[in-house]
Amino acid sequence: MLRFILNRLLMALPTIAFVSVTVFALIRFIPGDPAALMLGDGAEPHQIAAMRTELGLDQSMPQQFLIWAGNVLQGDFGRSIVNDEAVLPLVVSRFMVSAEIVVVAVLLASLIAVPAGVIAAWRQNSLMDLALVGTATVLLSIPTFWLGLLLLLLFGLKLGWLPVLGYVSLADNVIGGMLYLVLPIMTLVIHEAGVLIRMARASTLEVLRLDYITHARAKGLSEGAVLWRHAFKNAFGPTWTMIGLILGNLLGGIAVIETVFTIPGLGRLMVDSIFARDYPVIQGCLLLVSLSYVLVNLVVDLLYPLFDPRVVAE
Amino acid sequence: MSKILLASCMFIAMAAPSFGSEIIVALNADIRSNNPGVNRDGNTDGVIRHIVEGLVGPTDNGEIKPLLAERFETSEDGLTYTFTLRDGVKFHNGSPLTADDVVWTFKRYLDPATKWSCLSDFNGTKKTKIESVEAKDTKTVVIKINSPSGAFLGSLSRPECGYSGILSKASINADGTFAQPIGTGPFRWGEWKKSEYITLTKFDDYVSPANDGKPDGLVGSKRPLVDRVKLMIIPDGATVKAGLESGVLQASDIPPSLIPEYRNHPTLQLIVAPNNGKNLFYMQTKDKVLSNPAVRRAMAAALDLDELVAAASNGTGSASASIIASHSAYFSEVQKKRIPYDPGAAKKELEDAGYKGEPITIIANKRGDVPSFPAAVIAQAMMQQVGLNVQIEVLDYATQVERRRAGNYQVISQSVAPRFDPVFAYSFYVGDKSKDPSLMWDDPKAIELMNAAYVERDETKRQAIFDEFHELMLREMPGIFLYDMVDVWGATKKLKGLPVWQSNPRLWEVSIED
Repeated sequence: MLRFILNRLLMALPTIAFVSVTVFALIRFIPGDPAALMLGDGAEPHQIAAMRTELGLDQSMPQQFLIWAGNVLQGDFGRSIVNDEAVLPLVVSRFMVSAEIVVVAVLLASLIAVPAGVIAAWRQNSLMDLALVGTATVLLSIPTFWLGLLLLLLFGLKLGWLPVLGYVSLADNVIGGMLYLVLPIMTLVIHEAGVLIRMARASTLEVLRLDYITHARAKGLSEGAVLWRHAFKNAFGPTWTMIGLILGNLLGGIAVIETVFTIPGLGRLMVDSIFARDYPVIQGCLLLVSLSYVLVNLVVDLLYPLFDPRVVAE
Repeated sequence: MSKILLASCMFIAMAAPSFGSEIIVALNADIRSNNPGVNRDGNTDGVIRHIVEGLVGPTDNGEIKPLLAERFETSEDGLTYTFTLRDGVKFHNGSPLTADDVVWTFKRYLDPATKWSCLSDFNGTKKTKIESVEAKDTKTVVIKINSPSGAFLGSLSRPECGYSGILSKASINADGTFAQPIGTGPFRWGEWKKSEYITLTKFDDYVSPANDGKPDGLVGSKRPLVDRVKLMIIPDGATVKAGLESGVLQASDIPPSLIPEYRNHPTLQLIVAPNNGKNLFYMQTKDKVLSNPAVRRAMAAALDLDELVAAASNGTGSASASIIASHSAYFSEVQKKRIPYDPGAAKKELEDAGYKGEPITIIANKRGDVPSFPAAVIAQAMMQQVGLNVQIEVLDYATQVERRRAGNYQVISQSVAPRFDPVFAYSFYVGDKSKDPSLMWDDPKAIELMNAAYVERDETKRQAIFDEFHELMLREMPGIFLYDMVDVWGATKKLKGLPVWQSNPRLWEVSIED
């Protein structure tokens, strides 16, 4: 098992190196000079040139990359061009804000969607199936920014139950912090539950058609036992993989949700940094995102044998 | 469920500290630093102006008046400025303002290690060099410069210079790093939660400069009327509206497209305030097609400016073809002149110029707070009516800035930030393009007039220079100035006073009704 983990981590290294090089190059190919943006519209050419030198942007791209990569290997991700903050603590703190929303949302979405999907498959073509599939299709079709705004208007403005905007860290105030997180989490749960319901239903339907399920029913097992003990365990694999992919994707940025609900998370940081051409922060964000994606999928793979013993890590 | 949530809200409300009266205002992006005039942008300057004050400051119409100074005198040769400080002014830490503080502050600004944005304006890199700043006694400061300047005082009070705000030495840590701004303004620096909010607290010992009871630019009456100001970072316009409607927010800038929603709202008010900034079509006079002034004039004559402005500004703007802001003291009758809307004349100019339908591209961006794109679309339709082959290229703002800086454009639909003195506006557009390709116009006469305006201190003579400049511009038409920028804000009806000045919050003399 340990060898498997090490192998997977080693396999991730080329991915992260590729991401680093690609991001480094692509962001520099986009027109827009961070020095000019930073100094404002009245800056003169000599001031911009001096700022470019100070930021190291006057060096060739390979030189800039080697300096940056060398520093990253020593744990120094550089400093933000915009506000001179150290990139690593900035990116990690923002990642934690996004992660607390995403992890809770994916957990809740899974707890709601997986049983719903299994039940829909069990009652295929019934009214309940139709209702669940229809609801799931509608949910996953709604753009998150619009859904977020609707929830904001309903629960924040009309009913006044939840705060309309702002953010309180859970570390500062647990109950207050949770109230600020309800709407963004609800938005993500509603959207992702739609995806997961469809996935759980499809994979359960496939399994329910197999001979061993017929055999189990023929043995006289109750429907509950057939469904949860025999069908669910085999059907959950693809859904589990999907949960991992969703988690990895969302950890990579929920910029729209964060913008609507004024959450200071990683997605907003990334978008702001791209507009400001804040190269070190963009690189730091994307490096962390790719690393988290790799780790989430590693954890998914490691836990896979729990649901499907046929899959052995070795 | 609702009971649980309401109980939780009550719990938070009980746990939250009480601030007495508070105004919560939205900022569309975070500030860059709290170091005046150093790492800055428009939002940063907008916060800083509540905390620090310079020796002088601009009025609403751009005149420069004493602020921390009670009065100032200029020597006959224009090289020596003597400022007498006001009595009773205190820093936020309670220590009194003295001439030594002014000397120390300028020494710090002029030290290259400070990285003051305006260093090159005062160290001789451009025209002016501060030769010395000395304390004659505890309340008299003497600043000597190398050559006479009609713009020196205006330059000191520019936002990008951090208003040359006078700081207490306690603003700096023992190791020389910047701690926080301890100034003399109506509000003290409070807390900064990056990407979330900034708070400022009322300075109880604040004393306004001489005034007639009303706020006036950065001078006038500046009483802090609330205990605390909170500036929340909210990038999304729809969220801002929800915040205003819920009562969490009291004021914010809003996209002009939302004006109708605020106009007859039962609880919200629409605030429209003048702004010295300019909306214009920046033209590349070196371009093969646009190098002919006749083509540029034809483009201007093709525009029904009043209609264009009414549509692009949602009825909030007024057409003005001058570089000088409409409410400036220098906005004379001559500045009101513009090329009249005349499609027939435009067609004739194009024919005489030998224009054969060569494509002309207007670069625009879709940032919600500027009319770059709608102005370009309306202009395209009007220009096509006279036979101009106009296309639009939409770019993100950073790319647009790079194209302008490189001179790589034909026309850019652009908004330019407020500048108090006309010469600062001129210097943004006029100069040697071979040295700075971002400049719009390198006509020798225009450069000569700009340089003359820099030096001239007599207001009547300056007015004559500005008027001659405007006449020249109408003949050469290096850019089409459309209208002054307009600050469009939404606020709760409980808010009293004007919460905005020149694109950013101005929260003194603003209060909330119970």
